[in-house]
Amino acid sequence: MSIEVRNLNKRFGDFVALDDVSVSLPSGQLTALLGPSGGGKSTLLRIIAGLDSADSGSVSIEGTEATHLPPQKRNVGFVFQHYAVFKHMTVAKNVAFGLEIRKRPKDEVVKRVDELLKLVHLSQFSHRMPSQLSGGQRQRMALARALAVEPTVLLLDEPFGALDAKVRKELRDWLRRLHDEVPVTTVFVTHDQEEAMEVADEIVVINEGRVEQVGSPDQLYDEPANDFVMSFLGEVTHLGGVSLRPHDVEVDAAPTAAGSVEGTVSRLVRIGFEVRLNVLTVDGEEVSVVLTRTHARSLGLEEGSTVFLTPADGATVIPRMVAAS
Amino acid sequence: MASVSTAVGNRSRTTTWLLRILVVGYLLMLVAWPTGLIAKNTFEDGFGGMQRALEDPDVIHALILTVKVSVIAVAINLVFGVGMSLLLVRYDFLGKRALSALIDLPLSVSPVVVGLALVLVYNPRYGWLGEGLHERGIDIVFATPGIVMATCFVVLPLIIREVVPVLEELGDDQEQAARSLGANGAQTFWRITLPGIKWAIVYGVVLSLARSLGEFGAVKIVAGRSIGNMETATLLVQREYQNFHEDVAYSVSLLLVVASVLCLIVVAILRPSEGSHADPQKENK
Repeated sequence: MSIEVRNLNKRFGDFVALDDVSVSLPSGQLTALLGPSGGGKSTLLRIIAGLDSADSGSVSIEGTEATHLPPQKRNVGFVFQHYAVFKHMTVAKNVAFGLEIRKRPKDEVVKRVDELLKLVHLSQFSHRMPSQLSGGQRQRMALARALAVEPTVLLLDEPFGALDAKVRKELRDWLRRLHDEVPVTTVFVTHDQEEAMEVADEIVVINEGRVEQVGSPDQLYDEPANDFVMSFLGEVTHLGGVSLRPHDVEVDAAPTAAGSVEGTVSRLVRIGFEVRLNVLTVDGEEVSVVLTRTHARSLGLEEGSTVFLTPADGATVIPRMVAAS
Repeated sequence: MASVSTAVGNRSRTTTWLLRILVVGYLLMLVAWPTGLIAKNTFEDGFGGMQRALEDPDVIHALILTVKVSVIAVAINLVFGVGMSLLLVRYDFLGKRALSALIDLPLSVSPVVVGLALVLVYNPRYGWLGEGLHERGIDIVFATPGIVMATCFVVLPLIIREVVPVLEELGDDQEQAARSLGANGAQTFWRITLPGIKWAIVYGVVLSLARSLGEFGAVKIVAGRSIGNMETATLLVQREYQNFHEDVAYSVSLLLVVASVLCLIVVAILRPSEGSHADPQKENK
């Protein structure tokens, strides 16, 4: 295990940012810290980097006790949401910063900077000032800068948060490919579940200062530990005391399956190949259902039709009890 | 011209001109004309007055003392100003707001009061600290250190008030990035923070210098009545003027004006370059 976090607590005044957090982040993998804004994930990342200090608890990086080490001694690469570029230095100087601080020989620095700029596709911009780069280019430069010092772990705090949707998607794919090329232990913070599911090997879901679940994207999606994780990773609806995904609700025109719940279609919206239903059950529950257009047509559904709902076979279903929190 | 009329919206042309005349007239009567008259009076009989002034050892001594005091005071203010700015912006501590308010005190308190306060503390005969120091052979008041201190007090806010907003706008992202890349506190300051606040510091230094050269009230009190060896340029102007040596008074005044104007020109040249990056042209390939 590369990063071991034990019983971490952090408060900002009355606000509890981290509440007894313990988590192990695996070596050589791409891990996402996923959760809603203000949930404590950035705080956790900053404490790992040494940019914030915990009230109690410990952090160790690759077996080295790091709880009280200053950031410059942790050998951690950190990428900030708003790039934190050194405005008064050229792109090449930005990337060289960490190496120059370490007093590496000049020709080695030049060589390494060249390699890194090639890696992040910024070779032709090496003499530009950061102000002449686009947001995506600046963030790639910041990444090269962080990688230059050959960090034990690379930490990225909402790295694509300030970029527009298209660039975001590009950089996301690119980060995944980069990680496959340079397999340094990487942890990134995001509140975008799609980003986490697409890029990460492992996801740590954090909410209200606590770790809700740790697992691979598939595990999280298929076996969510609780209602929060389930609803954070996708749409959720409730049927007969369980939570499940709207596309996992089976719709029938007649009560064929045992335990089916009767209801009336209160709203029907067609979006391309997909049909979304709101069904008001006899128990007074409002269930949302997603099915294909073909399926809806074969059932002859329209607003006001009576339908019978059952959870589909093999659907991810969790008891609704936890939803109260 | 078109852009000017857009800038004032739909206000009529006459109003615009009236406002302009008012502002220009105000500045002319208050600043430009009186200052100009000093120049005129200085050169009333050619360069004679200026020459007489520059041959007077008292004048030379006063000018040297003024420059010396100003440079020392600005140097001290530079170190403390930048230090306190960092403290105010980057750290949280008890009494931070009180300290911030205290820094503005020199702007609101009359320099004469400052002078009196310093005399009370450092007076060699009955001063709270001055007595002990005097016994050890250190004189503060009625000596150069006192003049430097009085000047330091007066210029205290000038660098801080320039640097603090720039530091705030800069944020600490870059500093944190530098730390995470292995830079220690000193390296972060010299390589990241200082280049970011460079122009604010230069601006603050120039302002402090201009203010130091012209300080009168505080210095007048702490310099005491010892004419000659503790006399700065402003004090000399007053004495010469009262002794009806108007030509010398005008000449030294003009020198002070020229120094201040030079400072302002330096500032005016520096100001626009602030924020824009150094030769983006050169960087383009």
